Amino acid sequence: MRLLVIEDYRPLQQSLTKGLREAGFAVDTTRDGAEGLWYATGSEYDVIILDLMLPGIDGLEILRKLRAKGLKSHVLILTAKDTLEDRVTGLDLGADDYLVKPFAFQELLARVRALLRRRYREKNPRIKVKDLRIDLTTQRVWRGRQEIQLTPREYALLEYLAMRAGQTVSRTDIWEHLYEFSSSASSNVVDVYIGYLRRKIERPDRSRLIHTVRGRGYLLGGQS
Amino acid sequence: MTRSLRTRLLTRIIVATILLLTIFSLTVYLVIRSALVKQFDTSLASVARILAASVELDGDEIELEFEVRKMPEFQSAKHPTYYQLWKPDGTVVARSPLLGADDLARLEGGVDALVFGKSRMPDNRPVRAVGLKFKPRAADSDEEGHPHLTAEQTLTLVVARDPSDLMSQLRFLRWLLLTASAAVITLSLLIAAVVVRQGLRPLNSIAGEIAAISQESLTTRIGAESAPSEVVPIKDRLNDLLARLEDAFNRERRFTADVAHELRTPLAGLRSTIEVTLSRARDTAEYQTALSDCLGIVENMHIMVSNLLTLARLDAHQVTLRTEQIRLAELVNSSWRPLRDKAEQRGIAFENHIPVDLTCQSDPEHLSIVFRNLLENAAEYTNQAGQIRIAAQRTGDSLQVTFSNTGCKLTAEQVSKVLDSFWRADESRSDATVHSGLGLALVKRIITALNGAVTAQIDKPGTFTIELTLPCPRTQ
Repeated sequence: MRLLVIEDYRPLQQSLTKGLREAGFAVDTTRDGAEGLWYATGSEYDVIILDLMLPGIDGLEILRKLRAKGLKSHVLILTAKDTLEDRVTGLDLGADDYLVKPFAFQELLARVRALLRRRYREKNPRIKVKDLRIDLTTQRVWRGRQEIQLTPREYALLEYLAMRAGQTVSRTDIWEHLYEFSSSASSNVVDVYIGYLRRKIERPDRSRLIHTVRGRGYLLGGQS
Repeated sequence: MTRSLRTRLLTRIIVATILLLTIFSLTVYLVIRSALVKQFDTSLASVARILAASVELDGDEIELEFEVRKMPEFQSAKHPTYYQLWKPDGTVVARSPLLGADDLARLEGGVDALVFGKSRMPDNRPVRAVGLKFKPRAADSDEEGHPHLTAEQTLTLVVARDPSDLMSQLRFLRWLLLTASAAVITLSLLIAAVVVRQGLRPLNSIAGEIAAISQESLTTRIGAESAPSEVVPIKDRLNDLLARLEDAFNRERRFTADVAHELRTPLAGLRSTIEVTLSRARDTAEYQTALSDCLGIVENMHIMVSNLLTLARLDAHQVTLRTEQIRLAELVNSSWRPLRDKAEQRGIAFENHIPVDLTCQSDPEHLSIVFRNLLENAAEYTNQAGQIRIAAQRTGDSLQVTFSNTGCKLTAEQVSKVLDSFWRADESRSDATVHSGLGLALVKRIITALNGAVTAQIDKPGTFTIELTLPCPRTQ
């Protein structure tokens, strides 16, 4: 899952980015409003964490422009402005959530996860695809009764496929949602990681979970 | 005196009414009494005249005409009129039959003059009497010009009458006046109570409106549309006061909100940095980086809090300002020292044009806060390879110090706001976060406390200038 953090206060921006990356997200980050808008319109982020008082362009203005362009990214406003009017204005401009500084990092993570579930219309934090179970909160995976250990990268790939289970997911989509803007990796790494994932998940005695759809991408679970 | 306005008004109205009624009643009583007494006396005098006229002197015989003696006044025992006639030697010539053997008190004045007076009957009944000394008419006055009227022949007549009718009339009058006064006073008390209550209603309604105002509802104003003109000034003053209070409260609230906001952001940075760092085991270098980040945040918060504290203390007049001889150029240089390295890296030229021997009597501690804030601000916003220029000159008893820096991107309208608390050109924090928007507000507050003035303007395009005017009387 790929996030964008637009926050002008450097210590906060740095720790947010670090914490979110460690939680398994691909995070792009900027301290400038105009640059943030450029990032946000350039690729499809799952969640944008947006400060309101920014140099260049104000946070609310960024939000207005994103929504005017029809971008579907979920936006979480992260600000020190805590008045009722500020919250209402932010949410009414098209934000999906509002968190007041200072905040607990755990809460921010939980809210980001909630936004991700909402984005992929998944109410249950425990996804089941056939006999594969994924706990989105603890990031643990089971096939049948056996728990499977995955690296953060592998988990992120599986989570994304699971969120879109039953749909064919293109290689570009996967790459866009799992790799940061500054990442030097090419979309070929997707095939490599699909290979790693298959090796850990597939069992000879069980049905195939990850299907290759020739020329279009990959699909988790059965054909819908 | 905490008596209510209502009691005060009522008391005064009642006292005035009683006073007026007393004067009025007394006047009426005295006028009527004197008229009644006069009437009584007139009637008594006319009886006396008739009696006197009816006395005939026939030689040595003195006679009263029979018709006169039989007049009903002298007969009625209920309201009797008495008379008695004396010769000059005191012999009683005649007395009214009702007197029996009693005597009336003898009253006399000059000849033909009426003398009125009070006296008592022997049985102690009060009577009003008139005395008349007269010369009786001769029975046969055919010999005209005969001088038979001599001093010896003057007679004294006293007519007395029981005044109980008059007294009872006067008693009735007194009773009438007293009752009427009492009734009028009672009625006026009732009417005044109602009128005063009605009249004070606007005050009560204003009091009610004021009572309804709380700290949360300072936006309300006292309406009292139908307020009488006397109350309008009070209402206006109160509304003025409310407006000022509201203003002060709003400023206070805004300031508190700004403070909270400014403290929240670094707190969020601290908390987030610590939480993320603690979320897993890390190597020493990472902990060191996190701790030094936190230290940086804390240092900046410290600066901000002490700025806030200085502002609050200045506002609360808790600061005693010292006065010392200060070498301005030296103070500017020492304030610049901590900023010098960073500015040099960015190629900023620093020019201090203050004459070395220019001194000023002021508070060194606060003036150095001013200089530090102004220089920090200049160092922050001067463009790459720009210039900071400080100059000072004395005019009369004041001193102008100017701080200019290039690279200013503010509009004239923005410049007019730079001295307000928590104002920032683009509402965002720079990396350093030293500039919470308090620095210039603090400068303004300190300079005001030092009895000086501060202005901000754009001299040439892109050159931002702060001018301080400090009082600086010439010594020696």
